[in-house]
Amino acid sequence: MDPDTIVAVATPPGPGGIGVVRISGAKADVVLGRLAPEAPLPEPRRASLRAICDPESGELLDRALVTRFPGPASFTGEDVVEISTHGGALVPRLVEDAARRAGARWAEPGEFSRRAWLNGKLDLAQVEALKAVIEARSPAAHRVAIHQLDGALSRRIAGLREALIGLEATLAHHIDFPEEDDAPIPVAEIGRRGRGLAGELAALLEVAPEGMLLRDGAVVVLAGAPNAGKSSLFNALAGEARAIVTPEPGTTRDALEVALSIRGFPFRLVDTAGVRAGAQGVEREGIEVARRALAGARCVLLCVPVGEDAGPEVEGFVEGLEVPVLRVRTKADRVAGDGSARDRAGATGRSGDGGADRIEALTVSAETGQGLGELRDRLAELAFGGLLGDGAPDPSGVVMQERQRRGIGAAAREVEAFARALDEGVPPEAASAHLGEAATALEGVVGVIDPEEVLDRLFASFCIGK
Amino acid sequence: MELRYDVVVVGGGHAGVEAAAAAARVGVRTCLISPDLDRLGQMSCNPAIGGIAKGVVAREVDALGGVMGRATDASRIHFRMLNRSKGPAVWGPRAQCDRGLYPRAVRRILDEHASLDLVQDLVTGLELAGSRASGVRTRSGLRVRARAVVVTTGTFLRGRIHVGTHDTIPAGRAGEAPSLELATVLEEAGVELGRFKTGTPPRIDGRSVDYARVEVQPGEEGDFRFSALAWEDIPRQVPCWMTWTDERLVDVVGENLHRSALHGGALAGRGPRYCPSIEDKIVRFPDADGHKVFLEPEGLRSRELYVNGLSTSLPPEVQVAFLQTIPGLEEARVTRFGYAIEYDYAPPEQLRHTLELRALEGLWLAGQINGTTGYEEAAGQGVVAGANAALAVRGEGTFEPGRDEAYLGVMIDDLVTRGVDEPYRLFTSRAEFRLLLRQDNAVERLSGRAAELGLLTAGQVEQLEARARAREGLEEWLGGATLPAADANALLEAVGEAPVDQGVRAGELLARPAVDVEGLLAAAGASNDPRAAVPPEAKDQGWGAPWGVGHVVATERKYAGYVEMERKRAQALRRRSAVRLAEELPYGEFVTLSTEARQKLAAVRPGNLAQAGRIPGVTPADLQNLLLEVRRYEGHEKRPGSGEPAAR
Ligand SMILES: Cc1cc2nc3c(=O)[nH]c(=O)nc-3n(C[C@H](O)[C@H](O)[C@H](O)COP(=O)(O)OP(=O)(O)OC[C@H]3O[C@@H](n4cnc5c(N)ncnc54)[C@H](O)[C@@H]3O)c2cc1C
Repeated sequence: MDPDTIVAVATPPGPGGIGVVRISGAKADVVLGRLAPEAPLPEPRRASLRAICDPESGELLDRALVTRFPGPASFTGEDVVEISTHGGALVPRLVEDAARRAGARWAEPGEFSRRAWLNGKLDLAQVEALKAVIEARSPAAHRVAIHQLDGALSRRIAGLREALIGLEATLAHHIDFPEEDDAPIPVAEIGRRGRGLAGELAALLEVAPEGMLLRDGAVVVLAGAPNAGKSSLFNALAGEARAIVTPEPGTTRDALEVALSIRGFPFRLVDTAGVRAGAQGVEREGIEVARRALAGARCVLLCVPVGEDAGPEVEGFVEGLEVPVLRVRTKADRVAGDGSARDRAGATGRSGDGGADRIEALTVSAETGQGLGELRDRLAELAFGGLLGDGAPDPSGVVMQERQRRGIGAAAREVEAFARALDEGVPPEAASAHLGEAATALEGVVGVIDPEEVLDRLFASFCIGK
Repeated sequence: MELRYDVVVVGGGHAGVEAAAAAARVGVRTCLISPDLDRLGQMSCNPAIGGIAKGVVAREVDALGGVMGRATDASRIHFRMLNRSKGPAVWGPRAQCDRGLYPRAVRRILDEHASLDLVQDLVTGLELAGSRASGVRTRSGLRVRARAVVVTTGTFLRGRIHVGTHDTIPAGRAGEAPSLELATVLEEAGVELGRFKTGTPPRIDGRSVDYARVEVQPGEEGDFRFSALAWEDIPRQVPCWMTWTDERLVDVVGENLHRSALHGGALAGRGPRYCPSIEDKIVRFPDADGHKVFLEPEGLRSRELYVNGLSTSLPPEVQVAFLQTIPGLEEARVTRFGYAIEYDYAPPEQLRHTLELRALEGLWLAGQINGTTGYEEAAGQGVVAGANAALAVRGEGTFEPGRDEAYLGVMIDDLVTRGVDEPYRLFTSRAEFRLLLRQDNAVERLSGRAAELGLLTAGQVEQLEARARAREGLEEWLGGATLPAADANALLEAVGEAPVDQGVRAGELLARPAVDVEGLLAAAGASNDPRAAVPPEAKDQGWGAPWGVGHVVATERKYAGYVEMERKRAQALRRRSAVRLAEELPYGEFVTLSTEARQKLAAVRPGNLAQAGRIPGVTPADLQNLLLEVRRYEGHEKRPGSGEPAAR
């Protein structure tokens, strides 16, 4: 039995130039034949114009460009047909539905990638990167994702895998071949190689937090007293009137969220209810919602109008937070003079670290746009600093998926434990239990490490044969 | 003439000897047929048993009541514990044996088996009853009917020896005829055959060596024993020697490469990378300054030396020429020339984990015929095949040691689930649980099961029980006894460990890397000696000796945390192993698996999920999907009244 032939619209809904309907499976050509019965099947990999008709009524649905990619040289490794229809919400859906009635079934989410993976067309890291391309919220995220799709992350991980195999081969030589021509490799040398590998794993992880943020967007929470100008700032940053802005205290009761791109990086801006003493009922609930929103934040913007104090309620609200609190002097348009002057005294750093890590406050005006540019820079720097500047890592090295991060993290810990154990005088054959764990941890990211590969490496590197 | 047995074993090499002995010990009527009964357990190549991983297998064979450990003890003339400078988990006992004494000991031990008959003959035919093997025919016209046939013909199937590029002789090994008819008969019975090659170095006359120019390598003193459950007398010990080749050898070999059978293209089969000829070494590592050469005595009364490290298939005159470039061997006289041999083997994916052929019931294969190399590997398979053949005759289940139980388990699982593309040898790196599979604890890992299967004699079972009691006594003492600080520190200082401030538990002291059982017991003083509390025969158990039970306890304490890590991983593997995969699963229909995985699974038909995971080409994702597919398939199969059964 062959797997089902599947169909789905491959482009996001909404107005756009074209919509692509993709069909994959052994019956892809059969389905196409039923949708375009008048003309012969187009040549492989050549876009050809075809009239797409309803398989039952014969009614014309669209004139579309059709391209056939016979397997295995296709995205999924199976026979694939791509139909580029006119855009909009309706036409692609009609064609998709027609294909379904012509013998395909609707694809489950991610099923195309999954088939590509099963047929060895993509490795696991590439599949996840592909998902990230589709979901990419900003140019930066897209760039990283594209690099990974190229297999850059895969290559980097493959390099680590090679290093792990090399380390195991060294160990195998040490243990299995004590009487050979080459003197046994000193334990210190094995330890040194272990440290090297642990270092590389750690480097890959170092930018992992940014990588995760790239996928999910960095959450920035606006907090402050009612009417402190949060919603105006929110709208100014979002560039669209999202929150209702009124002078009456307590207007924003639920947290409002908007996904946006700042300096090319993905952010999720969250506006919250104003914090004040004696709030009742719905307003109290709003403050609770705000408190919960802080938990997932990468950064908090504490809004205090120029010339006012935050007040004890608001200070208490942000006290003890783990995340950076960036103090923003709002409504700068209301005061005369040098509105962009920095208000050093009013800045709070990470609470509780005695000001050692104080972050300067910024003065902004939602009205005039003053200070907003600088605020955007600061947000990008704060959340994605690891990816900016000269020493920034190749975006392909950014570990994006939680699963990858966990695997690499566990592997890094185990390899480090291996090196440490050797330093402590634990014999290598015992310490190697850590390498076993590391290999298992990386298995989910890079696939299985086969003892044969270790032996291949060993025999290639050492003259064995007493 | 017609004879009837339960089990007939074809071939009296290391595999055949163990298979016959194991079947006979289980208690079925067994017959061993081999062309020369004076050469049972003959060492075709280097007369040495053991080494790293291989030495552990020799101990495992012994723990299963086998012949190899005892025969080695009775014939060893030089012993070293390889890796002694490393932790005890990777120690590898290795013994140089007397080429004449070893087969004699084997014969003596086999003769102890009441239900084993030996017949000198060459097997030329296979009797079939339908799709079952039912016996063999021999060159002298004997028909031997049996319910189980175990074939262990080593390098003899269509064996062909090469010396240089012109000289090729059909032979099973030097001076012995090959087995031609049997190869054809097996093929006709549907057994697939492939071709491998291997080689052996020249032997020289020890009187022609200048001993002043070579380095002496004394063996270890002390009575290491391969056999923990039966006692043999160990012969007198002699040294080995070592020397190095230099660039003059490179020149001689390099100029004559085209005259090598291995390099001149005369040989088709694949050879082992870890056992390269000197031709290979020079081609692959041209920059090496020199290669080690070990001179190993072939026996107490023999003057011949085995030249370890110089396996070759160059013509005789070149062998002499390159030998004479080596310091100490300038005047060397060759007694036997090195040669390469090619032979047929049966790709082991055709086997079940019991070593029975999938396609031909009643026929088991063991030893080099399964694509392995080495005496220990052969012997290990012999025990497993012989035991399973006997169990099958009795209808008593199977014996399939796991990867976390024995190197034997690792080896057989590798062979059956992955196949081989070069002659297979064991290394510690093939085992995922190196710390669990040690030479010291082979008895603890395997002998209990061996006793259940009937593989141990009454005497061996007694030893086993004594050993268990000794262990219990020791563990109890370690947990309870406390040494005063002064006594403890005297010991700690002597072995170079940091002192303690106050009295300390004996068990904690033993966890220190440099503290051994003997030292600990001595420091504790006689009144505190657990040996007083256990039966006297246990005192002979060697205690702190590397083969003794005290060593097992000490090693486990020293590695405690790490052994635990491996145990946990072994349990995870066990859980996967517990997911049985039925033989008839329709892998072709499991569409969520990759095409490659479907093909590989259908070819190998693994017995459980863990085995499936080790098949190259089956990914972790395939495994997950396989689990779901199997559940779905089984649910469908079991649903009452679900109409026609799923397609097979
Ligand atoms: C030249 C050479 C070099 C080797 N080099 C190495 C090495 O470097 N390292 C290493 O580890 N191992 C080496 N070996 C391998 C080692 O000798 C074998 O792995 C081991 O002996 C295999 O044991 P076995 O029982 O499977 O077969 P064998 O020991 O070969 O025994 C086979 C037995 O079957 C008998 N027999 C054959 N045909 C029949 C028949 N038709 N009927 C009845 N009996 C039959 C034979 O007479 C023999 O007794 C070498 C072997 C050879 C020949």
